[in-house]
Amino acid sequence: MSDYIVLVKQVPDVSQITDNAFDPNTGNLIRTRLPSVINELDAQALAFARRMAFLAGDQKARIIALTMGPPMAAEVLRYCLARCADTAILLTDKALGGADTWATANPLAWAIRKIAKEMLQDPQDYYIVAGMQSVDGDTAQVPPQIAEELNIPCVSYITDAQFQQGQFAFTRIISGGSQTVQLRRMPAVLTVAKYEYPLFASFQRTRQAAKTPLIQWDARTIQAKAIGVEGSKTRVIRVFPPGKTSRKCQPVHSAKELAQIIAQSLRQASADEQAQQEKGRPAYLLPARRKSPFDRSFEGTAKELADFQVLTQILEEMKITRLEGITEQVCEKILQDPRVDFHKKALEDMLEGYRQTEPTYKGEVWVVAEQDENGIHPAVFELLGKARELADSLEVQTGVVLAGKSVRALADSLIAAGADKVYLLEHPLLEPFDPFVWRKAVADVWEKYRPQIVLFAATPQGRVLAPMVSYRTGCGLTADCTGLDIRDSSRKKQIAILFQTRPALGGNVMATICTKDSPCQMATARPGVMQRLKDNPSRKGIIIPHPPALTAEDLSLEILRTEKGTGKVHFDSDCIVSGGKGMQNRDNYDRLLNTLCTAIRERFGVSVEKGASRTAVEQGFAERIYQVGQTGTAVGPKLYIAVGISGAIQHMIGIANTETIVAINTDPHAPIFKQCDYYLIGSAEQVIPQLAEELRTMG
Amino acid sequence: MSTPQANPVSVLIIGAGPAGLSAAIHLKKNHPQLDVVVIDKASGPGHHNLSGAVVESAALERLLNPIDPNWQTSEQAKKVLIGQVQQDDLLFMAGQCAAFKILPAVHLAKALGLGFGQLSHRGDWICSLSRLTAWLCELAQKADVEVLHGFAAGEILWNEQTHLAEGVRLVDQGLDKEGHPQPNFLPGEIIPARMILIAEGCDGQIAEQFIQKAGLRRQCPQLFSLGVKELIKVSPQQYEAFGSGRVVHAMGYPLWTPLIGPGMFGGGIMYPMGAEQIAVGMIVGLDYPYYDFNPQDALTLFKQHRWVRRFIEGGKVVEGGAKMIPEGGFYALPRCPQTGSIGKSNVCILGDSAGFVNMLKIKGIHNAVYSGLAAAEAVGVNLDTPAAVARCYTRLLEENGVLKEMASAKNFRQTVAKFGPLQGLPLSVLGDWLPRFSVEPDWQAMRRRRYRLKPPVRFDKDTFTAVAGTTHREEQPCHLTIRDAAVCKEKCQPSYEAPCITFCPAGVYESIQGVVKPANPSNCLHCKTCQRKCPFDNIRWRCPEPSGGPKYKTM
Repeated sequence: MSDYIVLVKQVPDVSQITDNAFDPNTGNLIRTRLPSVINELDAQALAFARRMAFLAGDQKARIIALTMGPPMAAEVLRYCLARCADTAILLTDKALGGADTWATANPLAWAIRKIAKEMLQDPQDYYIVAGMQSVDGDTAQVPPQIAEELNIPCVSYITDAQFQQGQFAFTRIISGGSQTVQLRRMPAVLTVAKYEYPLFASFQRTRQAAKTPLIQWDARTIQAKAIGVEGSKTRVIRVFPPGKTSRKCQPVHSAKELAQIIAQSLRQASADEQAQQEKGRPAYLLPARRKSPFDRSFEGTAKELADFQVLTQILEEMKITRLEGITEQVCEKILQDPRVDFHKKALEDMLEGYRQTEPTYKGEVWVVAEQDENGIHPAVFELLGKARELADSLEVQTGVVLAGKSVRALADSLIAAGADKVYLLEHPLLEPFDPFVWRKAVADVWEKYRPQIVLFAATPQGRVLAPMVSYRTGCGLTADCTGLDIRDSSRKKQIAILFQTRPALGGNVMATICTKDSPCQMATARPGVMQRLKDNPSRKGIIIPHPPALTAEDLSLEILRTEKGTGKVHFDSDCIVSGGKGMQNRDNYDRLLNTLCTAIRERFGVSVEKGASRTAVEQGFAERIYQVGQTGTAVGPKLYIAVGISGAIQHMIGIANTETIVAINTDPHAPIFKQCDYYLIGSAEQVIPQLAEELRTMG
Repeated sequence: MSTPQANPVSVLIIGAGPAGLSAAIHLKKNHPQLDVVVIDKASGPGHHNLSGAVVESAALERLLNPIDPNWQTSEQAKKVLIGQVQQDDLLFMAGQCAAFKILPAVHLAKALGLGFGQLSHRGDWICSLSRLTAWLCELAQKADVEVLHGFAAGEILWNEQTHLAEGVRLVDQGLDKEGHPQPNFLPGEIIPARMILIAEGCDGQIAEQFIQKAGLRRQCPQLFSLGVKELIKVSPQQYEAFGSGRVVHAMGYPLWTPLIGPGMFGGGIMYPMGAEQIAVGMIVGLDYPYYDFNPQDALTLFKQHRWVRRFIEGGKVVEGGAKMIPEGGFYALPRCPQTGSIGKSNVCILGDSAGFVNMLKIKGIHNAVYSGLAAAEAVGVNLDTPAAVARCYTRLLEENGVLKEMASAKNFRQTVAKFGPLQGLPLSVLGDWLPRFSVEPDWQAMRRRRYRLKPPVRFDKDTFTAVAGTTHREEQPCHLTIRDAAVCKEKCQPSYEAPCITFCPAGVYESIQGVVKPANPSNCLHCKTCQRKCPFDNIRWRCPEPSGGPKYKTM
């Protein structure tokens, strides 16, 4: 009979976000402008935990809600108590504030240890259930990191549970399909990606919840090892509003007009090719390669860049060319210069920064590969493109960790795509993917070779593996990056470090983050954002076998079955026509999208593929492999036509690399209309036959 | 995971509006030992409360002085109360350009002691009712009242034998569209209660159910009007020109033009709401005859009137909402035929649920507050005799002046309903000397007549519901029922072209392949106009899952 510890988080209600919710100067979210709510997925996790207890017929199961946050986070615990939680624990302390995922996972894990020891029926038989991610952070890191701290398995992206022969079978999302697994060991962390039936508050429980005193623990009670800002392994450099969409957002009024736009978009030379023609200044130069010792033109923030520019210019005007030439008098003169708007302390830091010329981190730039029966995941090649660029800047080599049962044959494609070294981890236990096994194998090879950067794809696999590996190796981790750049932070005496930029708060803000107090910089990057290099089959690289030492003891999961969509989906087509909830039923989805695909294929002789939004997949209009978006596949065709898709952020992230986005929707307020190039207000049933006809007959 | 046993609540108050909260606050203050529970179907404080509003300062004083004599200088008061009315404009709009001030006539009427003289607002507080309500919620919670949002009463449990209400049953949650239980199904819980105060607002579901079950009667059918309102962010210059201490009430165009029509009762309002926002609204008596009329069209025309336009032109609509007002007055109060009590035995009906709106003042919040205070007192003196509460409550309403004031306006709305605004308004000046006219319910007033004025563009109901913030869980049974689809098809569509499609301010109704349906129930603003204005009385509104509906912030 298991107990359940449900992790919940209080988040700002991102659905009610407005423009004035941000400080115009700093770009920071003004928390008081938004109501606070329970993270939606955590509410689902609570319902899921109750569902599990119900399925197991477990009347005595205890459900304990745990949250960490300011005192007002008590509200989410009352939410849980009003529904099904028996006990609620609030972990609150000023010392716990300002934590990143590392310093959140650590105290939560210590609190769980305390709960298991003191409050559970059996300290080894419990589930930790949490939402897959929070809407404010979107990192999905804390639950796997808790699992790592507790050295227990983590099953992520769960959508369903069945109880068979005394054991749970969990269905979870994997790239391009779903998988049903059983746990081999307890306790375990479960993260819920979707459970449609959040609980309603009961009146009697709500009354009681309001009167029940909460259990409140502070940092000392739980004896955590890494807390708050001090215990964090990343720091936020700056938060800024996302660039205004460069999409055109033009309304289109007729199918005829739309047909012409489709023709235009498919004929245009791809932006890729254009971009490759214009190559100018290098992305980054190590200080040793720069002409002047005072050249600090690769600072990570605009302010420091500007300050150094002023300083460099003054020094140049004073004809000082060497560090030794900067005497105290010179300093005073500098500070008196009207262009200078920094203080003495800052100047001292900057001068100290000039003395730093050696990169802060040493070692290679790595990518951890992911593959299935179709070969290497496309996102890995994209990351390798980025890794190549970073490694060139740092003048180091790139390495790929290729793990699996028998995967040597895949190594060549990685070398052709930019890898200097392929670390080959072959072992029968590495297939199929079990995060518990993989994280051990990857952490071991990391320990041996100590790279300075490790990149993972932000796929369902990467998003559970990366947090476990980073936690195991003591490294900070930034999730779902869309930008990765080598920059200096000279004033902090850090040279050539990785600036990691990622969207947060559902894409409403961007944050630039750096790793701190870590032996290595780790990040996951969103598929479809980085650019893959052109394959060069003549490239040379070496394969370094590193057979991992694994035993059956290391397994955490038994994989009962894996379901992938039948056939192969060609998401690398020139054009993708996707359908959403607005297609209303499977028949419409098939009939209308096929009509349009055929019309475009025949008219322009390009490759066309169908796609689907998550809702369309959930509704059974299309198979899971057709899902485009954050939990599906990221695509980047020349032309993307979204029919009856509202434009949820998770979907739009997955099509960010598209050149032209066309949206057709009946709802004039569909969010997608603000994130596309052209839109037509109308129903699929009306527009598509007309459009197909126009495409057939147009000149 | 066991759910605790239900303990009877001493006093259950249905509806966290001004009436219910006034009762709760005073009850708890005077009898801290009682467990006073207020439930509300909205997702949060004030989310379903909408009015102009101007509130008589005396009412706020009577409510708040006992809790905090310095309330007027509190931070909350400063946030909620925009200011006291300094300039009170009553306009007559003649056509789309001209406007005449007719306040002197009101002052004259007041001097002569005529009923019409009550239409003066000077000194009243201007406020947003959603905000006022949210503040009262806070005060109630501070006083240890349990104010629980997200709980909707679906049924009152009335014992025929004992003639006592035993509690309420909440609405079911977690049913799918077809009414099958989902895995999270939560059957409506029963809340046993010793006394119940119904304060759920205009045309309340529990109130109407209770009136039926307990056999209460109205001398005249309740008459309703629909208020639609927008909050418009204007420029600082416009706001300053309008002034933060001024309220505007306008009669005439576009609802009423003597002789040539249209001839509807009602008018436009403009109130400042702080932060450079002006509330602009249109209130229309639902006894209008035009089958193609949408009160929102009248709002558009009002906004385009030259006098109004200058203050709001170029502004942005930041919030919107719609709500019915019970206008029947004294003769429409539901009473026990035997005792005359407003309510029965251990159940009282408060505020708009009873219909304490004084149409001569076009105000009702003050009476909602007084009715709440009276109910609190009545409960207090009858703790051991719950069955006597309703009678005591009614007596206290006589004593505290609510019923007297209601009586002073008793003929006004019916006279207008009977004779139309042209003859009715001047006739109503006679006030008390008029006999009681029998009037028909609003839905019977529909005729095959068209509204003469049409704004150039159709009102954008989608944006309106979006700024009202209305949402419902999509997967639930439709809370709007068409009683007989054949009536729509055979009677309504041929003669009136299904007016629900036009008048519903949220665009809930649509004709899909010739069949009229509540196609978009999740847009519903809970105004209930459909069940009162369907010309064949063919629509019923029932409370959907709680936490659905609008999320008013400054309405």
